Amino acid sequence: MSLSTPLIWVLLPIVVAVVCVFLSKQQALSFILAAATAFGLALLAAFFPEDLTLSIGPLNLAFEEGLMVLGRQITLVYEIFPFIAFIFGMTGLWLLTSSIPGVPTTFRPVSLVITASLTAALSVQPFLYAALLIMTAVLASIPILNTDKKESFRGIFRYLSFMTLAMPFVLIAGWLLTGVVSLPPESPLVGQTIVLLGLGFALWLAVFPFHSWVTMISEHNHPTVVSFLLFILPTTVLVFGLNFFDRYAFLRTSEEIFTVIRLIGTVMIVFGGIWTAVQDELKRAFGFSTLVENGFSLLALGLSAEGGLSWMLMLFPARALGYWLWGYTLAQFENHCGSLEMDALQGYGRKFPFLSTGLILAQLSVAGLPILASFPVKIALLSQAFSIGQGLGVWSFIGSFGLFMFSIRLLLKLTTPNDQDSIDLPRTRLTPEKRSEYVPIVLMVLVLLIIGMFPDSVLSGITDVLSAFSQLQ
Amino acid sequence: MEAFSIPAFVLIVMASMMILIFRDWRLTAIALAVQYLGAFVLVSLSWPLGMAVVKLIVGWMATAAVAFSWQATDARNQPSTDTSITDSTSSLIFRGAAGLLIVLLNFALTPSLQTNVFPQVDLVIIQGGVMIMGMALMQLGINSDPYLVIISLLSFLLGFEIIHAALEVSTLLTGLFVLVNLGLALVGAYFISKLGEGESQIES
Repeated sequence: MSLSTPLIWVLLPIVVAVVCVFLSKQQALSFILAAATAFGLALLAAFFPEDLTLSIGPLNLAFEEGLMVLGRQITLVYEIFPFIAFIFGMTGLWLLTSSIPGVPTTFRPVSLVITASLTAALSVQPFLYAALLIMTAVLASIPILNTDKKESFRGIFRYLSFMTLAMPFVLIAGWLLTGVVSLPPESPLVGQTIVLLGLGFALWLAVFPFHSWVTMISEHNHPTVVSFLLFILPTTVLVFGLNFFDRYAFLRTSEEIFTVIRLIGTVMIVFGGIWTAVQDELKRAFGFSTLVENGFSLLALGLSAEGGLSWMLMLFPARALGYWLWGYTLAQFENHCGSLEMDALQGYGRKFPFLSTGLILAQLSVAGLPILASFPVKIALLSQAFSIGQGLGVWSFIGSFGLFMFSIRLLLKLTTPNDQDSIDLPRTRLTPEKRSEYVPIVLMVLVLLIIGMFPDSVLSGITDVLSAFSQLQ
Repeated sequence: MEAFSIPAFVLIVMASMMILIFRDWRLTAIALAVQYLGAFVLVSLSWPLGMAVVKLIVGWMATAAVAFSWQATDARNQPSTDTSITDSTSSLIFRGAAGLLIVLLNFALTPSLQTNVFPQVDLVIIQGGVMIMGMALMQLGINSDPYLVIISLLSFLLGFEIIHAALEVSTLLTGLFVLVNLGLALVGAYFISKLGEGESQIES
């Protein structure tokens, strides 16, 4: 059997995940193995030679792009490697936080399996079969969700149900699309097919009104797990969705479709933003803010004629790092304080200055505060939305302002001293935060600042992914 | 196999109605197994028998996984009492009426679905698939019990697979569907066992 790229980025992580399961008692070893695999595969994808030949000393390893599985091809083309490097790199980053107390022991193997399944989804031919591989990733994610409490079951079942319902919609729509390309645009079947496809993606991306599972999952699960899932699933689904626009000219050239996508994106931004602003529970607020982010991705997709696809892709790294910091600080807060209700955190800004700063900056970075990572892309998106239509721009701005409002409310709460502080503070040490807790926060805030100040040099690399979609460049 | 297609469809209607109406886990599991048998006959109209039988075997495996884990949980929590999920006459009538509505809708809508969307697919295949999907969606909408939710999701997938089998023959696709079906069944078994653990802890 010759070496092929799917063997490296699909099969190898699954094998490592199985080994990690057997090493679950040896935490340190499984941690090193999982994180090293994820980062190693990310680096390999980032620096893989274009001719797919690896030279290690006298040894020349020639790789093939395709692997035959049950009569069909799984092809991991060189052009998609920047995205593969990105998702494996981010998986590695999340794996670094897998030793935080409360993170399920299954997180290490499961996160590798999810990333491998989603990589397979981007490489399977015919591309429609990806729907089943995305479903496999969803099924793999269940063991990392909290099944100890009965209240959390409803959210997980809704997540499972919506994801299961999405798959047939996408498969049937994909099958119909091959037939409708030859029909005139006014044929009712064309519209029906687009509606079916849209429904599938709406279920996958938790578009309003299919969003309820996001906040239910977010409320009852560990922030590290939730932030990872809510980053990796929508991101890969969006990249997979580009296949449809790349292959079908009538989708790519239809102004109505892009208008509808822009509108749906704006509705999600407004809806998610307003709900985020009024939340009192930090984990629920995170759930709602991910809806805003999915809305921004859809808005960017809707603006593809104006260069929106590059913005959509450039948002991914900035968002992923913001989510990571947000999830990390929430997890640490939960470990220290128990509750993540806003009232319970009154005065904690004094007690946990690094954690509080990290949390607020993570939120503001995702929201798009100037000099932080998401700002350059979001300002470009909002400006373009304004130029397309003032209503679109104003509503998008109002929606994105929701997360700012929430951050300001949280900041006020964290910095307002409570009665207990005046008694406790003189007797306790300056901060109970450990160095191992705040060093990652400081480093990530620095990274967010660097991205915010030099967006082109850091974020533009991922736009190379567009070369995998020849019609969309 | 064509001679068996109408009996298979009747079997599907009866089995899916039983899953929707009754709450006894044994009855539901048997009905699901029968539903897979009916689906196997309909799939074999478009696929070679060797490939179609995969759906039957996987379906029965999934049914066994979910049913036996429910039985184990049930036995752990209620060793000497009635094992059926609590139910009332009015809810039985409601679910029966909802099921009849789906049967009527199925007969009303599927001919136009065949004419406009799937002209090359037998009407009985479309009717069988849509029937199972409709009943499964109704079931999903009206309850949140882990056992029934997983059975509904398995049924919904089965309905879709019947129709999709008539559109495309692919070994990889069959393999992926096997993965998803068994994955769903395992997830169901996992939830049911977790539910049992929780209830046991509460009781003790």
